[in-house]
Amino acid sequence: MVARLELIKALASIVPPEVLVVTSIGNNSYFWAELTDREATLYHSTLGMCTPAAFGLAMALPRRKVLALDSDGNLILNLGVLGTIANENPTNLTVLVMDNGNYLGSHKREAGMRTASGGKMKLEEVARGCGIASSHAVQDVAKFRERVQSALRTDGPHFIRAEVEALDLERPPKTKHVLDPRENKYQFAKYIERTEGVQILGGGLGNFG
Amino acid sequence: MKPEKAKLVVDGLKEAGVDFTAGVPDAQFIQVYKMLEADPDIRYVGTANEAEAAGVGYGAWFGGKKPALILATSGLLVATYHLARINILHEVPLLVVIPYRGDIGDPRWMGLYKKTTEPGLNAMDIPYRVVSRSSDIVRTIKECNESARAWLRCIAVILNEEALW
Repeated sequence: MVARLELIKALASIVPPEVLVVTSIGNNSYFWAELTDREATLYHSTLGMCTPAAFGLAMALPRRKVLALDSDGNLILNLGVLGTIANENPTNLTVLVMDNGNYLGSHKREAGMRTASGGKMKLEEVARGCGIASSHAVQDVAKFRERVQSALRTDGPHFIRAEVEALDLERPPKTKHVLDPRENKYQFAKYIERTEGVQILGGGLGNFG
Repeated sequence: MKPEKAKLVVDGLKEAGVDFTAGVPDAQFIQVYKMLEADPDIRYVGTANEAEAAGVGYGAWFGGKKPALILATSGLLVATYHLARINILHEVPLLVVIPYRGDIGDPRWMGLYKKTTEPGLNAMDIPYRVVSRSSDIVRTIKECNESARAWLRCIAVILNEEALW
């Protein structure tokens, strides 16, 4: 078992800046924002939206590596997406789940309540059963680094469950303004437009443009 | 829905420039889903539930796609949290096309959806048009998608009466 902060520090040091990262709400978003300075991040995906959003992005940009930085409670809300991913087979997608086995553990100084993965559910086995052959669990920083680097180097889809401590007692100091969803939308969309040559924004001129 | 009307829905999506769709098959719209799945110009992703479809469409928009969700009236309820968040908080445009099961004229008992569909769209602040004539399907889908993309808002098209039955 390891602290979320240690893994996100490791992640920040090994994920190339051009990899598109979609983060679930809570400390996955806040820690990633504090430890990195990347336009290639889509923050604040809540209640099951993180992995589906990363999957949709990966489908739209098949030549770009996409990483879902998800959490157990969030993923479990839309667990069926793992079957969808297996069938669609986006080779550029890695789903990384910070599994603290706990609802609200990322926010509170006291334990929240157990998620299914805090009981008998093993998410990497669920992912494998859904048809994602590259599904792994990691418990320490060294293995975490190895699995993430391998996933970003090779064709997927990949699924990695990282066992983290129930509570985030170690936290980075809050020094930054984390973009709100609309600021983040414009920043991320403009970044994609610039680096992929696609048009996302800029409608509204109608026949006069 | 008759195949020729289902084709009008697909034609409307093409006219609108939609190139990515997601959803869960619905009995009334099954021909639309099958046509989309077979169509080389529009990617269809079949999801496990409609909330997942909303998340997938949201992500696809950031990748430069022009996404639409094809949702049953029941599925709209499943997708409600995600759609409300995407529309109100993120302001990301998703076109939502819905066969209006439960509207007056539906021969089965589905009146639940009369109570939930339009009030639900209003509660999520999603503007919509109701299409009652098949001759209006293509134009309405195109216009709704244009406005969605220009306004950065979700907009729905719901089909009833002769357009659907």
